[in-house]
Amino acid sequence: MPPAILGPYTRTILTAAIIAAALGFSFTYARLSVYTELMPFFEWMETTWFGYVGKTWGAAFATIQAGHLIGLAVLGGCVIVSDGRLLGVLLTDVPHRKVIDRADRVFFWALITLLATGVFMACGVAMKIYYLPVYWYKMLALGAGILFHYYVRRPLVAHEIESINPIILKMTAIASILVWFLVAATGRWIGFSG
Amino acid sequence: MDELIYNIAVWIDDTPYSAMLHESYYMYNWVESTHVLTLMMSLGMLFLIDLRMLGYAFPDVPASKIADRLNIPMLIGFTVMFVTGILLFYAVPVRSAQSVWFRIKMILLVACAINAYLFHKRMNESVSSWDNEARAPKRIRTGAMLSLVFWTIVVICGRFIAYDWFDCDYDQSAFIDFVAGCIDGQARF
Repeated sequence: MPPAILGPYTRTILTAAIIAAALGFSFTYARLSVYTELMPFFEWMETTWFGYVGKTWGAAFATIQAGHLIGLAVLGGCVIVSDGRLLGVLLTDVPHRKVIDRADRVFFWALITLLATGVFMACGVAMKIYYLPVYWYKMLALGAGILFHYYVRRPLVAHEIESINPIILKMTAIASILVWFLVAATGRWIGFSG
Repeated sequence: MDELIYNIAVWIDDTPYSAMLHESYYMYNWVESTHVLTLMMSLGMLFLIDLRMLGYAFPDVPASKIADRLNIPMLIGFTVMFVTGILLFYAVPVRSAQSVWFRIKMILLVACAINAYLFHKRMNESVSSWDNEARAPKRIRTGAMLSLVFWTIVVICGRFIAYDWFDCDYDQSAFIDFVAGCIDGQARF
């Protein structure tokens, strides 16, 4: 889609529209047919090797959970450093570009760790999380986070930082911190449910 | 020693606020969530500093800058973790004091503190000669690697505390009884 159609904020508007559509889908009866069709997939997840290990070997499950937490810590660290730089509160004597690009590399591997350990954990408790609303909230938050990071934030900061309106930069940084905090908080919430 | 620890834990357990915190569904969960989510600030910063020393993160940013600038948010994060950690112990003192994982975690936290002290001391002594290099000298890298390993085991132990595999009210081997400091006739968790 040519950027001109929606002006300079095409990606932001599209992302907001996708998130709004996903929320609308999730909180109305529209989701029920898809939700029912997903059940065999979750049942299958429990029959996989990951599911078997996760269900029968508590120590392995807990160790992977710890790996998930460490991935979260590193991802959170990258978000705080990178967005802290955009907000002008961290590493202010290092050029924006350096901080953002270097943090993004580590962020990528932390995200891969989170996803890999998350899939393992999901297989071990697939039917439990299938019935947990908060698991779906987390998936929505995670989807929004990845979409926001790679479709809005990254292309935005790929421009010359000095040419971007500082208010837009700060709003992007705050939105980024909030969305990843939401992912972490909903993940923690899963532990209290069910 | 184990009896003394047990008696102190029982005394804490008998204080009204300990029971209130333990029985408060929302407050306990808030404290626990804060303890876990602050990982992003404390361990997040610490791991980035360690990865910088190993040459895996910010290799072209001076090591001293990364260590100095990330130190403050890291210490804020660790302060919050420390306070919430004490509150979590205060809420469940007897079981925690006799948890194998909690005891390993405490020993490792002391090891982490000693390692951090030595790491900073060695770094401050020599950083001017290698500040702009992608990888720190071997001595510093060893400290960074130890920090990553110790803290990873701390997180694993923290996660394991929630499980009851080695709780004293189960029949355990003499070794586990010894490590966990189980006291005969203990009646509460």
